[in-house]
Amino acid sequence: MLTRAFSVILAVLMMGLSWTQAPEVSAEEKKLKVAFALLWTIDDQGWTTSHYNGIKHLQEEMGDKIEVSYTEKVLAADAERVFRDYAKKGYDIIFGTTFEHMDPLLAVAKDYPDIKFEHCSGFKSADNMRNYFERMYQGEYLAGYMAGLMGFKKVGTVATQPIPEPIRGINAFTIGLKKGLDEAGVRYEEDKLNTVVWLKSWRDAANETTLAETLIARKHDLIRQMADTPDSAAAACATGVPAIGYGEDVAHYGVDCALVSTTWNWGQWYVKAVQQVMDGSWSNSPYWGGMEDEGIILSSFHQSVPADVKDKVLAEQAKLAKGEDNIFAGPVLDQAGKELWKAGEKATDEDLLTMRVLVKGVAGKIPE
Amino acid sequence: MIEDLTFIAQISIKSSVAVLLATVGGIINERSGVLNLGIEGMMLVGALAGFAAGHFTGSPLLAVAAGALAGGMLSLVHAFFTIGLRSNQVLSGLALTILGTGLANFLGRPLIGQTGVRIRQLPVPYLADIPVIGDILFNQSPFAYAAYLLVPLAWFVLFQTRTGLILRAVGEDARSADVAGVNVPLTRTLSVFVGGLFAGLAGTYLSLSYTPGWKETMTGGQGWIAIAMIIFCFWNPLLAFFGALLFGGLTALQFFFQATSMDLIPSYVLKMLPYLLTIGVLVMVSASSKRRKSASPADLGVPFYREL
Repeated sequence: MLTRAFSVILAVLMMGLSWTQAPEVSAEEKKLKVAFALLWTIDDQGWTTSHYNGIKHLQEEMGDKIEVSYTEKVLAADAERVFRDYAKKGYDIIFGTTFEHMDPLLAVAKDYPDIKFEHCSGFKSADNMRNYFERMYQGEYLAGYMAGLMGFKKVGTVATQPIPEPIRGINAFTIGLKKGLDEAGVRYEEDKLNTVVWLKSWRDAANETTLAETLIARKHDLIRQMADTPDSAAAACATGVPAIGYGEDVAHYGVDCALVSTTWNWGQWYVKAVQQVMDGSWSNSPYWGGMEDEGIILSSFHQSVPADVKDKVLAEQAKLAKGEDNIFAGPVLDQAGKELWKAGEKATDEDLLTMRVLVKGVAGKIPE
Repeated sequence: MIEDLTFIAQISIKSSVAVLLATVGGIINERSGVLNLGIEGMMLVGALAGFAAGHFTGSPLLAVAAGALAGGMLSLVHAFFTIGLRSNQVLSGLALTILGTGLANFLGRPLIGQTGVRIRQLPVPYLADIPVIGDILFNQSPFAYAAYLLVPLAWFVLFQTRTGLILRAVGEDARSADVAGVNVPLTRTLSVFVGGLFAGLAGTYLSLSYTPGWKETMTGGQGWIAIAMIIFCFWNPLLAFFGALLFGGLTALQFFFQATSMDLIPSYVLKMLPYLLTIGVLVMVSASSKRRKSASPADLGVPFYREL
């Protein structure tokens, strides 16, 4: 009896062994293995959805030359395990798509020198780890310009976290807004063009709504959404005030009053980065794209945006696409009227990446 | 100035409706002696069910009914474990929150970003025209009007009717109530179910009216605030009205000052306030022996066994 049981167990074990030892079909050409760690779920309507759209674009472009995996909700505490797991499984290039992936990615990159690592929105790198990001502030500038041309002069911005990325965007928006108003010949209050309130979170539907409603009750005439979720824009629509969307085209989420949305387009970069690994031209020099590579795209305009305004905005966009980015060219003043960049000067990428001051025209302050 | 104050008051009510409804539900079920820490989970399930029903049927009434019922159904799970099997109420409640959150997030994925029924602000004819008061109280969503009716009604039933007396008796001393011929398990199950209905309704308010649409964990901790509020308000629905308003008001003020470039209270402090104030109230209650009696139901959290 015992022997019989034993032989059964042995047989089962043998079967298991023979399965694991089954030869892999290696006749095919080796596919490049690409992995992504994502901050939240692929349908979060904002940041992660935009990266997921990039992944889909990559798959469409590269087809069966690559094999793609992704993991959702990779938060800081779990990130290193996820990256190490991908590295062990022999992935050729691994993307960390949010700021807090930076240190875990760096730790794993040091242990796997043959694998390429790409980090979005950070500043640390290694021989095999590169930073990539898109210049959202260019989109913000264009959106502000459009708003100015249309005569909006008391904008309310529902901002997220008080770090350089949103601050840069608020400043670029305000600079664009001022330019638009000047060109349209509209008179405005110099210090109160764009009032900023802070969620201190990337997404918070209830507070986005309340902040937007509060701004509208304070007679602001346009709501600029900056959170990942479209609730501040949606709240504006519900009270009949127009809005500008952020991250994804919010018109897809039922926000029918959005004049335009500034959107991320990561797909083009993912194709380039993967292609570089394939043909051996990959290097760790940082990538900071924008309108030039269509890494940032303006959605289609709302029907209420006049044709001549559209033309002017698109002309300005064409300049940016040619690489003529003079958004932060002097004279640029801070809120107190002090010159940040004098005439003839221009903010460097370093200045932009560490920006911690608001320009003239912004009402509100950066929370401590 | 008057305009600003009116607006702050109006927003205060608007942003406290969900907490208020959930708190009153919680008071009803805790008054019967059952602690339910699953409010957050029930609110989420209610929010999802309400939104889904609205999305597929287009009917606001069905949406609200579905949301409230979903909260009620989930509360029956809690009732089964804590009343039927007499398991630990704290654990079962926490499990309910985890279950409800996971379930709603999982089932809700295809609905993220969809649009559905939206229940807008609906000024009450005539009443909304009263200066100031009309704008504050009667230019709200129908959920707020429902709360105006349900809160005093809950108080009336709990403290002025025989039904309420039985319910409270079960919560104060289940054994005596049993001896007096009250069906303790049934009374507790029903009140837990009513608590679930209220939590579901609170969630529905969020997904249909306040922040229309379905988003993962969209309640953002309001269920926990409700639990703190139950204690803060001495298990009294009328006090809950003022408690919920106080916190809604603090939030509204914070945003208002931001929008006018003033930073009165840091928002992190503000998020802690409901819990800090609750702890403060608990300290005060235990320091004064008089109030202790009027506060927590004596049999709260104690499973009922009939002696053989």
